[in-house]
Amino acid sequence: MVQARLADTPFISEPLTWEQICERYPDEWVCLVEIDRPIDHNFAFRTARVVGHGKHPRDPIMQARPFCDHYEGMGHYFTGRVRARIMGMVIE
Amino acid sequence: MKITEFDRTRDLIIVESKIWGRGRYRDLSLAIDTAAAATVVTPYVIEWIGYTARDGTAITTVRSAIGKEQGYILKVARFAALGFVFQDFEVNVFDLAAGHDIDGLIGLNFLQHFDYEIRSIAGKIAVRPATADTASS
Repeated sequence: MVQARLADTPFISEPLTWEQICERYPDEWVCLVEIDRPIDHNFAFRTARVVGHGKHPRDPIMQARPFCDHYEGMGHYFTGRVRARIMGMVIE
Repeated sequence: MKITEFDRTRDLIIVESKIWGRGRYRDLSLAIDTAAAATVVTPYVIEWIGYTARDGTAITTVRSAIGKEQGYILKVARFAALGFVFQDFEVNVFDLAAGHDIDGLIGLNFLQHFDYEIRSIAGKIAVRPATADTASS
């Protein structure tokens, strides 16, 4: 319960690299702001600030709400390994 | 021709995408899926950029290997991926399988506008707008 309350508390991290973010929040979803990205359509960035994190995709979004008025844009990413899942259509 | 990089060590081809809603945008990781007719975005992302199911234009049912999923079609203000942007872009909004770790899929309603070459070993996708010349060659 203490952890849950702490996770709900608004916070903004110092600028972090993606490697530092993955190390700090392993296998979690994160919300990022101030993403310093040299090429807009590539993922790679120099640093970003974390404003939310959690196990479920919605967790960081809820946590980042206090920052939505301050930032027009935010990033939403998973720090763990992305696994392929079967999404094929069923032929009836 | 635009070149987009992806992490070739991942199970899926995941690229940076940007989606605009009502006065805000979100950067997302979406998987390239040439077997998907429509571009798919999860409901929590759509709500996050200021839309609701009431903004949808049609109800959809997706039959997947895990069962039936209900969703809806919605036009977002702008959508960008692979270095190209579309205005009033149509996406299919529905929840992917539980435990998923992507925000959606880039389907053929986006990809069909381009000629593209996926270089799996290099981890790059080269994309250029499709033209009448390339369509007939």
